[in-house]
Amino acid sequence: MATTIPTSAFIATPLRCSTGRSSAIWVQKAQFSASSSSLGVSLSLKRPSLRLVSVRCETNGAGMPVIPAEERWMYEESEINGPDIWNKTWYPKAADHVNTEKTWYIVDASDKILGRMASTIANYIRGKNLATYTPSVDMGAYVIVINAEKVAVSGQKRSQKLYRRHSGRPGGMKIETFDQLQKRIPERIVEHAVRGMLPKGRLGRTLFTHLKVYKGSEHPHQAQKPIPLPIRDKRIQFVKK
Amino acid sequence: MNKDKIFKLAKGFRGRAKNCIRIARERVEKALQYSYRDRRDKKRDMRSLWIERINAGTRLHGVNYGNFMHGLMKENIQLNRKVLSELAMHEPYSFKALVNVSCTAFPGNKAVPKKEGLSSIL
Repeated sequence: MATTIPTSAFIATPLRCSTGRSSAIWVQKAQFSASSSSLGVSLSLKRPSLRLVSVRCETNGAGMPVIPAEERWMYEESEINGPDIWNKTWYPKAADHVNTEKTWYIVDASDKILGRMASTIANYIRGKNLATYTPSVDMGAYVIVINAEKVAVSGQKRSQKLYRRHSGRPGGMKIETFDQLQKRIPERIVEHAVRGMLPKGRLGRTLFTHLKVYKGSEHPHQAQKPIPLPIRDKRIQFVKK
Repeated sequence: MNKDKIFKLAKGFRGRAKNCIRIARERVEKALQYSYRDRRDKKRDMRSLWIERINAGTRLHGVNYGNFMHGLMKENIQLNRKVLSELAMHEPYSFKALVNVSCTAFPGNKAVPKKEGLSSIL
C-alpha cells in the first residue's frame, strides 16, 4: 500500500460504539478512502450506492470496543473494561426500579393474624426480600389485600385494642375499639398496621401508596396479574379456640 | 480559611448559609465535622447493606444469614460480605452453590423430627 495509514488513525476519536453509530460510520468511510487511495482508483464511484454495509465497531467478546494498547492511556478504566461490578457496591439505576415493571402480590386477609400479615406485607413492599434491596430506593413490590374486614386478632384485642386519632384541637382525641373501626372503615385497620411497619419519611409515604386494601374479595387490579404473596410465617392463621 | 474557600465549600447549602460568611462559616465547619464522622460511618453502613442483601439472597433459598455465614466459616470460605452480596445479585447460580456448600457444612437449627417408638433406638 502506497499510503500506509496506521490502523490507529481510524479510532483516534473517542470511541462511542455503544452509544452512537455515527462514529462507526466514520470508521468505515476512512477505511474506504484508504483502500481507494492506495489503489489509485476511486472505487467508491463503482460501488452501488444501495449496497448495505453492516456498520459494526470492532468488539471483543464482551461487547466492548477493542482499544489498542497504545491508546489505553486515553480512556478511563470503565471505558476499557466495562463498569466495575466487583469493587463498587451496586446501586440501582432508574431503569432498575420502574414502577410499571414491578411485581404485584395479592393476599387474602380472611382469618389471618393482623400483625403477622402486616409484617410480611411491609417486607415485600419495602423490597427486603430481594437481593437487590437498597434502603434509599423503592425496589419493592405492590401488594393487594382483599377481604380486609375479615382480618383476625387474637386474645381480647377485638374489643380492647384501641385506635386513637387527634384532630389537633384541645380535647380532640377520638378513640375507637378494633371492632368499632372494623364496622366503620375496615380497610383502615390493615392500612394502620402496615403503615406502622413501613419506614417513616418521604420514601415510606410513597411505599405506603403501593399498598392497596379492599373490603370485599373484588379488586380492580386484574390487569396487573397479581400472584399470591408467599407467606412463610407458620402462626399467621387464626385458630379459633 | 479565607472566605473564598468557605464559600466554595458552602455550595448547595440552603438559604443564607451559602451566601453570608458568618452563617456559612458555621455550616461549613459542621459539614466538615459530619464528613469526618461519616467517612467512618460509611464503612459500617456499607457492611450492614451487604449483610441485608446477603440475608435476602439466602432467604430465597430457605437459609437465613446467620446459619449461612456459620456454614461458610466452617468451610473456611473467606469471601467477604461485599463480594457475597454482589454474587447474590449478579451471579445467582454461583450463590446457590455457595448456599449449598454452607448447608452441607451447617444444616441450621432445623428441628430434628422426633422418631417414634422403636426407631428412636436406631
